[in-house]
Amino acid sequence: MAKYIIKRVIAAIITLFVLITVVFFLVRLMPGEPFTSAKLTEEVALNMEKYYGFDKPLYMQYFQYIENLLHGNFGYSMFYTNKTVNYIIGQGFPFSADVGIRALMLAISFGIVFGILAAKNRGTKIDFFCVIVAILGTSIPDFIMGALLQYFFGIKWGLLPVAKYRGFEYTILPACALAFYTLASVSRIMRASMLEVVQQDYIKTAKAKGLSNFRITVKHQIRNAIMPVITMLGPTVASVLTGTFVIESIFAIPGMGKYYVESVTQNDYSMILGMTVFYGMFLVVCNLIVDILYGIVDPRVRIGGK
Amino acid sequence: MHVEKNKKLTKEMFVVMGKNADDMELIIRPTLSFWQDAWRRLKKNKAAIIGLIIIVCYGLLAIFAPFLSQYEYSTMDTSAIDASPSLVHWLGCDSTGRDLWVRIWMGARVSLTIGLLSATINMCVGAVIGGLCGFYGGKLDMVMMRIVDILYGIPSLIITILVMVVIGKGVMTLIIAMCIVGWIGTCRFVRGEVYRLKGQDFISAAKILGVPDIVIIVQQIIPNVLGLLVTNLCMAIPGAIFQEAFLSYIGLGISPPNCSWGVLAKEGIKMLRVAPHEVAAPAFFICTTMLALNLLGDGLRDAVDPKLRGTD
Amino acid sequence: MKKKLLSLLVAVSMSIGAMACGAYETEDTAADASTADTGSGSESSEKVFRYSDTVEPTTIDPSKANSIVDNELIHACQESLVRGIGGKVEPGIAESWELSEDGLTYTFHLRDTNWSDGQPVTADDFVYGLQRLLDPATASEYAFIGEYVKNGYAVETGEMEVSELGVRAEDDKTLVLELENPCAYFLSMVGTASQYVPIRKDIVESYGADFAATADKNVYSGPFKLVSTDNMMYVFEKNDQYWNKDAINLDRVEFSVISESNTAVAMYENGELDFVKLPTDSVAQYDDIDSEFMNGNEDYLYINEESTNKIVSNKNFRKALNYGLNRNDYIALATNNVYSPSNTLVMPLVGGASKSYGEEYTLDSYPLDGDIDVAKEYLEKAMSEEGYSDPSEIEIELTTTDLEASKKIAEVLQELWQNALGITVTIRQVTYADIYGSVLPNGDYQIAYGGWGPDYSDPYTYLELFKSDCSYNYSNYKNDEFDKLLEDSKTETDVKARMDMLNEAEKIILEDAAFVPLQCRQQHYLLNDKFTGVEFYFCSINIDWVYADVE
Repeated sequence: MAKYIIKRVIAAIITLFVLITVVFFLVRLMPGEPFTSAKLTEEVALNMEKYYGFDKPLYMQYFQYIENLLHGNFGYSMFYTNKTVNYIIGQGFPFSADVGIRALMLAISFGIVFGILAAKNRGTKIDFFCVIVAILGTSIPDFIMGALLQYFFGIKWGLLPVAKYRGFEYTILPACALAFYTLASVSRIMRASMLEVVQQDYIKTAKAKGLSNFRITVKHQIRNAIMPVITMLGPTVASVLTGTFVIESIFAIPGMGKYYVESVTQNDYSMILGMTVFYGMFLVVCNLIVDILYGIVDPRVRIGGK
Repeated sequence: MHVEKNKKLTKEMFVVMGKNADDMELIIRPTLSFWQDAWRRLKKNKAAIIGLIIIVCYGLLAIFAPFLSQYEYSTMDTSAIDASPSLVHWLGCDSTGRDLWVRIWMGARVSLTIGLLSATINMCVGAVIGGLCGFYGGKLDMVMMRIVDILYGIPSLIITILVMVVIGKGVMTLIIAMCIVGWIGTCRFVRGEVYRLKGQDFISAAKILGVPDIVIIVQQIIPNVLGLLVTNLCMAIPGAIFQEAFLSYIGLGISPPNCSWGVLAKEGIKMLRVAPHEVAAPAFFICTTMLALNLLGDGLRDAVDPKLRGTD
Repeated sequence: MKKKLLSLLVAVSMSIGAMACGAYETEDTAADASTADTGSGSESSEKVFRYSDTVEPTTIDPSKANSIVDNELIHACQESLVRGIGGKVEPGIAESWELSEDGLTYTFHLRDTNWSDGQPVTADDFVYGLQRLLDPATASEYAFIGEYVKNGYAVETGEMEVSELGVRAEDDKTLVLELENPCAYFLSMVGTASQYVPIRKDIVESYGADFAATADKNVYSGPFKLVSTDNMMYVFEKNDQYWNKDAINLDRVEFSVISESNTAVAMYENGELDFVKLPTDSVAQYDDIDSEFMNGNEDYLYINEESTNKIVSNKNFRKALNYGLNRNDYIALATNNVYSPSNTLVMPLVGGASKSYGEEYTLDSYPLDGDIDVAKEYLEKAMSEEGYSDPSEIEIELTTTDLEASKKIAEVLQELWQNALGITVTIRQVTYADIYGSVLPNGDYQIAYGGWGPDYSDPYTYLELFKSDCSYNYSNYKNDEFDKLLEDSKTETDVKARMDMLNEAEKIILEDAAFVPLQCRQQHYLLNDKFTGVEFYFCSINIDWVYADVE
């Protein structure tokens, strides 16, 4: 196990390095320039290129960037002049992660419960209800969900704050809006996977052994059925925690999502790279955890051997 | 089995029947191919049939409704700005006075094409690659999964913008751009499933019998994960529809005055308080399509499940 | 049994949820510490003004400011030589000033006043501010606004040392500023442009590239000092070192970045904001509001004179486009009748010789309802010149940005032109970075949607766009007569004669149909009744709450 993890960590570092390299060169292929003022004169453009070191050969810029990165320095944003990318991420990430964690807790716990209930009561009203929730959750996009929640709970009924982040009650609506899609997909996958597991031989064996229904459900069915959910959660966790553009802008949460989209539309090279590296680290770690979880949750998969 | 005790068995009492090769292979029940059987079972599932009918109806409306209406999808009308639904405009008008009924069906053409095509392509590609990774494991798996991580880490906006630069704009561009990263989700998840399945007895049995790996994957493993795949597919379609809406807004989607459900919903939501019908119409059609697809998907899943084969 | 399972799972999930919230509660309060007590200003007698904008300021470094919001915030916390208030020029740090006979040399006499840290404001701070603006090493996007100062351009391009810039401190309280050319609107520009404010050399040097990155990395000379820039919220407090602090009534101002305008409107209605700009879609909800101001933005279409599509550079075709557009219909469809249709380039409110330009000069231009017959005549001419036999053979491409509003505008223009002229218009959407980064500068377009906000209240700021040697003449328009008029206007010291020249120049570009004017933007807004003295302006800044008060 330890050997496997070390191997995976090394692989993760290599992955990140390749990711950074690929993105570093890809952003240079994007149409447009990072300096986008309508009133930019040629003289000023030249000065700015010099300031950000664009007059040097590309490979030099690349090595410079990697060197800075090794010191944990993402550089200065080109759009928000004078601010470092580290500062912007440091400001936004706690908010994104905060709302994200609440949303994930909500989505995973309720999603799994719904999925189990639906599968256990297949064809009944409970099942139908869970299916409807799942369908609404996956087919109503976040921008509609967020706006509707805000309109009804915030404006029309005045039960919860409309927007901004000033305390617990401010996080309820964004967390719900953010959780809805994940909740729906978790419950869908859990349901399908439970139904799959119910027919397996080992469940029959367990029944034949005379195990209680409860024990079978918890120890055998859920433990086996949860695997696809775990697989799905790796990337989901990474993207939910690093912020979502739509929900954050609807609820005016000062998170990272806005910068993620803005950096691309503004060609803010250093911000794109910083965001990518940060997100990439998250993703790689999440996926690593998922792979390790395989080994823990699923008794049949012994990691390392084929 | 009733033999008289005293009677001695003599050779004469037996007749050599010989081998009848035809009879040996004879199966009383009519032979059904996998898909025939699936279709037979699907037909019995009422909910699935309702789903199928809705989808076919929407498909037909998308093809014909725009021709049958007196309105053009792009004609603006200063006197009908934000008009509410009425007999004149069945679903009302948008903020430039365009008839929403026609726009919904013009949008359906784009959205259904993109949603179905990209989700299906993603599913196929993802299933094959995920299947291979999960089945073989080891180095192949390690390398593929790292590539997947890298692809997933590149902001999808950058990928889309670059694809557009290379092959120009259009529905195909959108589909390709979505497929470059879209298959990853399915891949990861099929891989996980295959990991779980490959230790099972029927796979070991097939291996021992010398069945080639590729056949095992296609014939044994894929049908076993099909249920989850179909569920996944149903969830991927709305995802694709809305991704298209997002891309349309940053100028990477379909070009105006063409529209799609996602674009209509996005334009409508801004008018939530002024003209709620503008968001209600696209949202209704997206949701019912998803409902239909899910019903159909569930039916399909049961129909193709190898363990339920032959049962009624 | 099922119930047991359910209750167990719910219990588990609840406890996890509660745990997570608990774990994060401490962080919440930490993150909230700065904002918690500001939630409602009504509890205390503090006068608090809370407002929002959809755009986040890019910087509060005066030399690098490049957007309206940047300017608005800097305008509140830094004091320039003079202060522009709703278009009027009032003394700022300069108590009095003289202009030399030739209109080239200003001598400013500074008052005794301090920075927010107690240090006196000196003439050297102004000299350093301008030198830093133009120093190529600063790489300011708005450096061109310093080109009015003698040798400004040469310093900006690195041909001269910063010390050769035409600004010097005679003594601590006397600043001498030489201009490159006489400039009638110079002081009004200084009153609103953040690039002319004083900057403290020691502060810049101690923070380096991080200067002004956060509230505590700068010092303030203006009526307010910035106390926090965290979490997309800018908090200002009254500056007790400000020379005119008795005239300042607000104690605290909170500016929030709220990118969804509908969210901001909802917050206004809930009483969480005191001022909010209305998006054009929402104006209809508030039938009775008449609160609006011109934000100075003129929107128009660039027409590429060097386009690969020959018909686009044909003058008659461009006229056909202009006459063929019913601007009233366009405004109704694209902007919900919120903006005003425009058939000229210069926004009428900018300063003329003595009154506003719009009052002094009325231009005879394309009818707002369009004129189909005239348009068709021009189209016929254009077609015969370029060898087309039928309008349907003509296909032009309209480039626009990814903003939702821009897309709608493009769709409406497409529809109106296709119907009126029978030509085909296709739409190409590109990102914002793309349109100003490469599409417009490289001339890689046929017709493109763009707009211009004035930097100073003078027609020149708009007209300059069509001067052939101007960096942002994206339409590659060249007319020697026009160029000469603009060039001459720079040295003309008679105000009236100069204005006539500019008017003449505008007539030329309209006659040449060098562009398609569309609209001037009217910004509707909601403002809490209890506030008075909030000013609106159309150059460099839109909202000015410095002298606002609570009734």
